[in-house]
Amino acid sequence: MIGSAAIHWEGRVGLDSELAQLRRGDLDALSALLARYQNRLYRYLLRLVRDPSEAEDLFQQTWVRVAEKIRQFDTKRNFEAWLFTVARNIAFDHLRRIRPESLDEPIAGAPGESAATRLPSSERPVLDGIVERERTSRLAQALELLPVTHREVLTLRFEEEMKLEEIAEVIDIPLSTVKTRLRRALDRMRQTLEAHYPGEVWQ
Amino acid sequence: MNDHEKIRELLALSVADALTPAEEEQVMNHARSCAECSSELDSWRLLAAGLRRLPTPQPRPLIVERARARAELRFAEEAEHRWHRIVMVGVILFAWALTLASWPVVRLVSGGLLGMLDPRLNHAWLGFAVFTTIIWMTGGAAAVFLSLQQRRERRLA
Repeated sequence: MIGSAAIHWEGRVGLDSELAQLRRGDLDALSALLARYQNRLYRYLLRLVRDPSEAEDLFQQTWVRVAEKIRQFDTKRNFEAWLFTVARNIAFDHLRRIRPESLDEPIAGAPGESAATRLPSSERPVLDGIVERERTSRLAQALELLPVTHREVLTLRFEEEMKLEEIAEVIDIPLSTVKTRLRRALDRMRQTLEAHYPGEVWQ
Repeated sequence: MNDHEKIRELLALSVADALTPAEEEQVMNHARSCAECSSELDSWRLLAAGLRRLPTPQPRPLIVERARARAELRFAEEAEHRWHRIVMVGVILFAWALTLASWPVVRLVSGGLLGMLDPRLNHAWLGFAVFTTIIWMTGGAAAVFLSLQQRRERRLA
């Protein structure tokens, strides 16, 4: 407990110093920030748009926007929430422009290969066994079938491990709405799994 | 809605750590005595654990490198724009100072400083006002032209 708190504190101090350096114009700090958040940010964007090439493009746009706006960032705010808000705005603008229907409806049909599971085999985490791997793959596929607002809240809570207050800040909705959305998303996730993989232990 | 149904509604949020401590305690107390809710809670835990263990997709190194290069370029451009703004403000202040300073100098050369105190609208005043207006309009037009050109260059880049 004390160890994890110490690591968190060190991370926080490191982040603050990188932000201060970047605001002073130090480009090494930009590289450090990018290295710190690249995987999480890419995962979030991929969960939103589901297409790796679109996620890669949005990933680049997000960092360009960060470079543009970093001096306007209020250091009293949570940087992580700010960064994900920047990414979210870019991703939703993109979805509104390219696939406006995707903002309301889940994609139809049975789950196929998911972007979340299209990982280089060498980079896949070692799972306990075939069953576990299969289960993970089905979860990723079911996640892709959910509406974007549900995918978003699930990834922010369970993958990014953000607090509810941080999620509310990123999505810009009240805390009570975050809870409602989270519950609906979990319900929908379970219904999707039960519909596509009946008889499995999802319940 | 009885207590059992109320608690069932909270089970999913419990595994998402989205309940207040009081609600969490209520759920745990109920789950200890209700086999149905206990089993339901286990299944939600299984789902939540699965979501937490989803593999993290990683961006290709080439994309990360591209993002870094584009962001650095944008950052440098922003710094340059800031510098340009500072220079522009400095130049404008200098131009105003020069304009104001040139009035007494011109009056001194053309007929003495005391002439400036003459409130009547005479040729010297009119000439000077026209001269100042032309200079400032030329400067303004040049600034607009440069800014449009810069914007066009940025769009093409």
